[in-house]
Amino acid sequence: MDKPKKVSFTLIAVIVGFMIAIQFQTIKKPVERDTRDIWQLREDLLKEKELQSGLLKEIRSNEEKLSAYESKRKQSKEEVLKETLNELKAEAGLTDITGPGIILKIEPVYEEIKLGEPVTATVSPDLLKRLQNELNMYGAKQVSIDGQRVINSTVIRDINKETKIDGHAIKDLPIEIHVVTDSLKNAEKLYNHMQVSKSAEEFFIDNMRLTVSQPKPSVTVPAYENPIRVLNMNTAGDDKGGNT
Amino acid sequence: MWLPIMGMIVGIFLGLLTDIRIPEEYSNYLSIAVLAALDTLFGGIRAHLQNIYDEKVFVSGFFFNILLAASLAFLGVHLGVDLYLAAVFAFGVRLFQNIAVIRRILLTKWSTNQQKTEKN
Repeated sequence: MDKPKKVSFTLIAVIVGFMIAIQFQTIKKPVERDTRDIWQLREDLLKEKELQSGLLKEIRSNEEKLSAYESKRKQSKEEVLKETLNELKAEAGLTDITGPGIILKIEPVYEEIKLGEPVTATVSPDLLKRLQNELNMYGAKQVSIDGQRVINSTVIRDINKETKIDGHAIKDLPIEIHVVTDSLKNAEKLYNHMQVSKSAEEFFIDNMRLTVSQPKPSVTVPAYENPIRVLNMNTAGDDKGGNT
Repeated sequence: MWLPIMGMIVGIFLGLLTDIRIPEEYSNYLSIAVLAALDTLFGGIRAHLQNIYDEKVFVSGFFFNILLAASLAFLGVHLGVDLYLAAVFAFGVRLFQNIAVIRRILLTKWSTNQQKTEKN
């Protein structure tokens, strides 16, 4: 056999060997015998069942979500109602409101404070009511006095010589009155009105000073905290109103 | 003579080292192909010993037999007939015949060699 013949023979021998090796490896797989006894089998079955139930749970929750989304889409009326409710809540004063406005500060007149004498200045409810009315008149939308939201049913009164707003006593001066208006323009207007209002003078008579801050783009009025009790209101009937 | 055997061993080593595995469903074809290749290899050895070795016949026979066997098996799978058995039978018979011829040739060579040594 000459050289090229030998080479080709050898090459083919290599290929055959390679094929045999691959076939051998393919056939020779480690024989895995199932040697589990019944309890191990049961355990494995339990594991698989747990997996299955987990998967089923997942599927169910996803389907529930899907149907929930679909029903939500159908019941957009509910969404509208919710929106209305939120609007009404905001109007009734049950939500925090941030908007443009001014901050009034009532503080004792420091020049009048005499050394050794207690500070006697207290805000009378009448003064506060007057201030409130004035604020409302000049475009205030939401007002809070000393952190207490003033709503339609808020009472400001004197109980045992303490001025109370819905049960919250105003004792310590200075106090802050947060006022939120519709827009920065209105805040500006309110600011101008408060600059020339008579309230400031009346506060001064009671040894207090009312300072009005510059209009701010963002003033926060907290939500009304107490439950609103509706005692003397009734739902209107179907008949036309105004027939007194 | 020793070079092809060395080549085969090298091939087996290569195959074992690369750790190639073909999918289970193709192992049938490979087994048939291996059988065909072995048949051709022994045919080549016999031809060499009989001094009728032709490289073209050998190389073409190697590839053609492999392809034919594999395609026969393929056809058998698709026809629902175990046609690969035909290939196994044919190649098996030829393998035995070839090995038998090789054995006889080697035996006669060996006996003639012994006679020569006896004469000397």
